[in-house]
Amino acid sequence: MQIQEVFDRRRFVFLDGGMGTQLQQRGLQPGQKPELAALEMPDVLTAIHRDYAAAGADILLANTFGANAKKLAGCGHSVEEVVSASIACARRAGQETGALVALDIGPLGELLAPAGTLAFEDAYEEFAQIIRAGAAAGADLVFLETMTDLYELKAATLAAKENCSLPVFTSMSFESRGRTFTGCTVESYAVTAAGLGADAIGINCSLGPAEILPFAQRLCRSVPAGLPVFVKPNAGLPNPDGSYNLDAAGFAAQMQEYAATGISMVGGCCGTTPAYIAKLKETFRPLTPAQKIPLRRSCLCTPVRFVDVTGITVVGERINPTGKKRLQQALRDGDSSYPCAQAVAQAEAGAEVLDVNAGLPGIDEPATLERLVKDLQAVTDLPLQLDSSNPQALARALRIYNGKPIVNSVNGEQSTLDKILPLCKKYGAAVVGLALDEHGIPATAEGRFAIAQRIVKAANAIGIPNEDIYIDCLTLTASAQQEGAAQTLEALTLCKKELGVRTVLGISNISFGLPCRGYLNTTFLTMAMVAGLDLAIMNPNTPEMMAAVRAYRVLTSQDPQSTDYVAAYADVQIQTSQVSKSAPAAAAQDTAAPGGDALFEAVRRGLKTEARAAAEAALTMRDPLDVVNTSLIPALDVVGDGFEKGTVFLPQLLQAATAAQAAFEAIKAKIAASGQAQGSKGKIVIATVKGDVHDIGKNIVRVILENYGYDVLDLGRDVPPERVVEAVRQTGAKLVGLSALMTTTVPNMQATIEALHAAKLDCKVMVGGAVLTPSYAKDIGADYYCKDAKASADLAKQLLG
Amino acid sequence: MERAKPTAIDRATALRYMGASGWQPDDATTALLDRAEKMILSAATPRAAVRRLPRGVFPPPELDCGADLTRHLQGCNAVLLMAATLGSQVDSLLRRLELTDIATAAAADALSSVLLEQVCDELEAEWRSHFAAEHLYLTGRYAPGYGDCPLELNDELCLAVDTVRGCGLAVTPQHLLAPRKSTTAILGIADHPVTGTLAGCTTCHLRETCSFRKQGTTCFAK
Repeated sequence: MQIQEVFDRRRFVFLDGGMGTQLQQRGLQPGQKPELAALEMPDVLTAIHRDYAAAGADILLANTFGANAKKLAGCGHSVEEVVSASIACARRAGQETGALVALDIGPLGELLAPAGTLAFEDAYEEFAQIIRAGAAAGADLVFLETMTDLYELKAATLAAKENCSLPVFTSMSFESRGRTFTGCTVESYAVTAAGLGADAIGINCSLGPAEILPFAQRLCRSVPAGLPVFVKPNAGLPNPDGSYNLDAAGFAAQMQEYAATGISMVGGCCGTTPAYIAKLKETFRPLTPAQKIPLRRSCLCTPVRFVDVTGITVVGERINPTGKKRLQQALRDGDSSYPCAQAVAQAEAGAEVLDVNAGLPGIDEPATLERLVKDLQAVTDLPLQLDSSNPQALARALRIYNGKPIVNSVNGEQSTLDKILPLCKKYGAAVVGLALDEHGIPATAEGRFAIAQRIVKAANAIGIPNEDIYIDCLTLTASAQQEGAAQTLEALTLCKKELGVRTVLGISNISFGLPCRGYLNTTFLTMAMVAGLDLAIMNPNTPEMMAAVRAYRVLTSQDPQSTDYVAAYADVQIQTSQVSKSAPAAAAQDTAAPGGDALFEAVRRGLKTEARAAAEAALTMRDPLDVVNTSLIPALDVVGDGFEKGTVFLPQLLQAATAAQAAFEAIKAKIAASGQAQGSKGKIVIATVKGDVHDIGKNIVRVILENYGYDVLDLGRDVPPERVVEAVRQTGAKLVGLSALMTTTVPNMQATIEALHAAKLDCKVMVGGAVLTPSYAKDIGADYYCKDAKASADLAKQLLG
Repeated sequence: MERAKPTAIDRATALRYMGASGWQPDDATTALLDRAEKMILSAATPRAAVRRLPRGVFPPPELDCGADLTRHLQGCNAVLLMAATLGSQVDSLLRRLELTDIATAAAADALSSVLLEQVCDELEAEWRSHFAAEHLYLTGRYAPGYGDCPLELNDELCLAVDTVRGCGLAVTPQHLLAPRKSTTAILGIADHPVTGTLAGCTTCHLRETCSFRKQGTTCFAK
């Protein structure tokens, strides 16, 4: 067969069936590595392939499913050796019928970070090694299959695209709920794989034909028109003895349903044999593939979240350092917990996409944006809008993003189009086009429309379809250019109608320089929604703006039965009052009535909302430092002492800590607003060591130390020694806290301490974690052992004051 | 294979994991546990995979698995290997909570550990009755890493059960399980009633700092 027949889709193309079960039936012993069959039992392997070819398989998958460096470690054979021997067996078997040979690649058997500890780049390298070997051995195509992690599939697809010129087929395995083990949806898989340039997209393993059918139908609707779709189901569902419940005839009968779905390639997975493929061929040979009619839709996604941009969609704007001192500091320090907390808060407030910007003078934007994206996707499942004009930063962020993102932005200037559009195309991203160019922002709607037209033309030329283009007609500041708002909205409507693209606006800029900005923002947002706005970049923590969005959805029938609106507001009472800024605030006084310290009580009792309110009230009358020292710390001390005595339990201690944290947020905001330098009792760097992913203990330590006013830089988990050294050097921290939970990761703790000593850094090291003891701590060179979070706070007090 | 989710999580055990054994939680803590339980039950997708192997094949004869596991499997001529996970969504929920609300995070962490145990208990009970029909008996569950049994055995166990394909569970280079809320276990199979032997405190890594021992009890005391 010629590979072109796959893409012509004029006839059904036949894939082969199960390999592992066949090897076992023909003599593979328990404990024997199936990957080595080409070397240890080549005749048996070739015979299996030959039987599949004789049964009618057009494509034979070589026995290279697990031929990766990790699985072959210690077997005495290299990846190259195993791959070339395996391909040779399949090639020999396919000679007579002219069947094509696929380099078959399964999951690496290790989970990628953040679920596991395997770095994306390392996964890429492992796949690249197999792919280079397969291409050198003469494979006709690359077949990535049984994938359950979209991120791993991305690493493998990129490795295939960048290390050979063969067609790449991708296949994931779904569970009965229509999600993979890692929660990936059929739609997220389809658009991500297609965006990365997969040449055929399918589903295999895990379930039988009947169970996979609805997922295959969804796949056909989501995979672009030109791409073939295939299925390779198991022989039904497993019986208790490990066999499968469908015979060859039953399998073929269930498979018949697929003829009308639009798929054009069929085969089998676990439990299927050459007899199944023969029956399949008998059934499908007289048929021709049905036409596949995919939906053309604008979408963004992560593995678990598929955002169909069909109406107004909220993009959270808070992760952008412009004008935000705390975020600037966090980005400079390499502290991800602050931006990550911002991400979670915006998601809870109703954001559906998050804008991420790391552009700050004096920092390495490409490295910072890449790290930020990695850290954010560990805590949020919202798609990201990668906000940068730096092509290097975008390239690095796009590469490690898990799903389909949107790039913000290009503009009409030819050089940005030339640099950034190819990146969007390569990584399958949607793109924002700003209606401006080297001559600035045109004053009129027509002028902006003309630039938009140019951008759309350039994007189309490179293969980016209209549904992936979002034009930003630019919000001008009303205080400076009052007529601008009308022009912006007119251009927006024009672009949407005439160009058939999506639209986007940053809302808040409209009100710059005017009082009560919320009024202007909300009104402008409402006008823009009516004009056809799709993506609103805004602060979702502004209740009135989110209310405008939810109300708009009700009034335009996008929220059936007003369900979402009711869910959001059934329990809400609106209180609006306009308060004079020049008159003194009198209302707050009673909360700090003599004889009772509201903040002290709220923290002691672990009441988060009350603690924040009490702190805000106290701050209207007292100095921030006074609030910390006379209310907050004493409350924490009382709780901490109770904990030590056994009268207060851990859940209570932590609730007090959470309440104190909320109070601290109010205090920090007050300090930042007053422009004073943040008072800190000293810097502490903490981390869970390399290889360890259990970090609840370390996180408790972070919160407690922050409660006591220390400036904590939390490097996260699975942190390499170099990163700790670099952070201590940069911050000048005098105390470092390391955590490890398991016996197997304590050596990395020792290595980290040694690295700190080797770098001659003047800092003390405290350690903690389940398997550590005071004597063990001493053995590995730590200065202090802390049995719990309270102990580390006591130690910090002793060392740093 | 996907496993049914228990409808409720055992609070008393969760509190024990949080060092508050026997404590009657106050109202705020009860509310906290309610909230955390709801989140965990909605994020969890319990899955498990098992495999029965002859004693000669597992534990692999060439590997030194310590005296504790050997003692546990005394009199058994086969083993049932078990692996279970709550899935990666629980991990991301915990990561999110650890960032924003450490009290809820700690409660959710403890509750998910208990949920995982409950899932394993149910699975074990099913297999126990399955084997009873064949007049075979099972020991209790023994996990790699306990006593003098090396954590490294997780690699062999997960490979033998094919946990990556069976339930989406993999081992890291440091022999930890990923997703985080996952567990493995070895149960002996014998033709006569067996109980197995718990590793006990002698070879336990935690014996010096163990808070249970300080209170004169053990972590495995019922």
